Amino acid sequence: MNRISRSAVFAAGLLLMAVDALSAAQHQHEAPQVLAPGYADLEFVPPPVGSYRLPPFADAPDARVLNRYGKRVSLHELYQDKLVLLSFIYTRCSDVNGCPLATHVLAKLQRQLASNKDLDGQLRLISLSFDPSYDTPEVMGSYADAFAGEGVDWQFLTAASELELAPILEDYNQWVVRDYDARGNYLGSISHLLRVYLIDREQQVRNIYSVSFLHADTVANDVRTLIMEEGQLAGRGADPEQ
Amino acid sequence: MRRIYLALLFGCAAFIPYAFADETCLSPYMAKIVGQEDFVYVWTLGVEGVGDGEDKLVTIDVNPDSPDYGNPVSSVSVGGRNEAHHSGLTDDRRFLWASGLDTSKIFIFDIATNPAAPQLVKTIDDFVARSGGVVGPHTNYALPGRMMLTGLSNNTDHGGRTALVEYTNAGEYIATHWMPTDDALQGAIKSGQFADGYGYDLRVVPRRNVMVTSSFTGWNNYMMNLGAMMADPEAMKRFGNTVVIWDLHARTPKKILDVPGAPLEIRCAWGSGKNYCFTSTALTSKIWLIYEDDAGEWQAKEVADIGDASKIPLPVDISIAADDNLLWVNTWNDGLVRLFDISDPHAPAEVFQQQIGEQVNMVSQSWDGERVYFTSSLLANWDKQETTGGDLQYFKLYSWDGESLKPDFHIDFIEAGLGAPHQMRFGAYALYGKKRPQQVSQLQ
Repeated sequence: MNRISRSAVFAAGLLLMAVDALSAAQHQHEAPQVLAPGYADLEFVPPPVGSYRLPPFADAPDARVLNRYGKRVSLHELYQDKLVLLSFIYTRCSDVNGCPLATHVLAKLQRQLASNKDLDGQLRLISLSFDPSYDTPEVMGSYADAFAGEGVDWQFLTAASELELAPILEDYNQWVVRDYDARGNYLGSISHLLRVYLIDREQQVRNIYSVSFLHADTVANDVRTLIMEEGQLAGRGADPEQ
Repeated sequence: MRRIYLALLFGCAAFIPYAFADETCLSPYMAKIVGQEDFVYVWTLGVEGVGDGEDKLVTIDVNPDSPDYGNPVSSVSVGGRNEAHHSGLTDDRRFLWASGLDTSKIFIFDIATNPAAPQLVKTIDDFVARSGGVVGPHTNYALPGRMMLTGLSNNTDHGGRTALVEYTNAGEYIATHWMPTDDALQGAIKSGQFADGYGYDLRVVPRRNVMVTSSFTGWNNYMMNLGAMMADPEAMKRFGNTVVIWDLHARTPKKILDVPGAPLEIRCAWGSGKNYCFTSTALTSKIWLIYEDDAGEWQAKEVADIGDASKIPLPVDISIAADDNLLWVNTWNDGLVRLFDISDPHAPAEVFQQQIGEQVNMVSQSWDGERVYFTSSLLANWDKQETTGGDLQYFKLYSWDGESLKPDFHIDFIEAGLGAPHQMRFGAYALYGKKRPQQVSQLQ
């Protein structure tokens, strides 16, 4: 509970930052800010688990990264034994419908993981920063403390350098661009298209979620659909007649 | 001040689910140009004897602050003629996909490295084989990390039965989803007379988990001479009469709605809670509303006439304004654009009309609705070959002040040696953190 309270405070802080940032944008856009669907209850009944396919999309490439303790780890090591939900973020992201959304949904998922036996131990959450110059392992550790619950497999990773980060972003087709003012001064923000990847135990991407699609309930159903598929495959493997 | 680029941001600041005009009719989570666009990319049909005669992607500089304003600044020919028709942007807006209805080839252009000079980086030439027999890729629509393409036909009988085909942004095939038919409803409810399996356009409403598709006609018809086809009663029977509501997440058809007379472009409202889309029917000349009723059921009903249907005005492209209050409707046969007040989506009212030019076809408006772009050309074998005066193949920009359309510039695509222009997509340096270089070379 304590962890949840802390994460809520952190999220509220981010929300306020986002509201400040967005108020200026709204003035220009003359448009109201609408929270992404992932913050609310799902507005539709999702298709039943196992009633649809998630065709393999692309390989999820390997890369060397740093965990929150500064230890080098490989993505494929982390992909081996569990289904994975991979989110690219940066901790200074202030748009409520950007990285905070991804972290909010992952935090919501971890609560579902903890309370649903069919999901327990099946899914690993990964938040990987694309701002390694600011998001050091220590910063990722602090970020992790604000969100990760006890006993939940949620890895907070960063890259050793921009040089090591670049091929990861290229491999995952996660395009980002740093924001500069008219004089060429870096504003500290990074424009990007929010993407969250569902990766199976064969290290294949099975779904990609962006702002309008990212919701804990649909992700959980996709995870259950993949678990069901694995069960069916295992069943077929055990029966040579099938 | 209005000329500066406003937010073009991705992810962080990109979720504005309430409004899209035609910059605007793109996927709902895509980065958008809400200020002045720099370029319009025009997917252009090759015309024999005009320039190199090949299909090409033409880039037109449309920023009034540019020395090249009003001129083509780049042209990339793709080799031969493919029946160039529609194009679409990937979700990160770095690539433009442009497809050919005849050869079923798909051309992928990098528009991010140099927005003024797109480069052809990949050609998909095995679409028919990989998709399991789908012919005529039409709409190229962005979903997260992937493109959903609608087909118009198939390689069995070249009729209208077809499918949706899904690719990764890298151009790798993922899956085929066949349109529901009487003999393969795939769980869909047939709500009326028709389950024709035809395809044309596609839009999604993610918050309702809904995908909407429309229906046109197959290769046999769209590659036939227009006069010959219209004189052939059997051919005229082979047009789509359906709109299909899909489960977007599962990619399964849920309900088939009767929308007779070839429903073409689909444009959905984006206001929060506005769960409806519009389409226009080419043969019956009507605006149809596709909407979710109070019981949560998706329905279709005709809500307005577009001109006098007996005179066959032939509605083609439509464009919904950012505030969901106005809808531009082009009619190809009489060269008119009409503006409908759609503030009550159940009772659109025509409030304005103006002659744009012969065979006006596509219409795209800027985010603020103040700039409206038009192109001519429908299909190679349907286009008029001789003008009755004025341009026959053109790109035109008008300014809309709320009361009148005033011409800003136009380009005669025949005189410029380019061909027959069709679909337009917008580009901007700021999308990619770039600034306009001091000098952009005008296309010689």
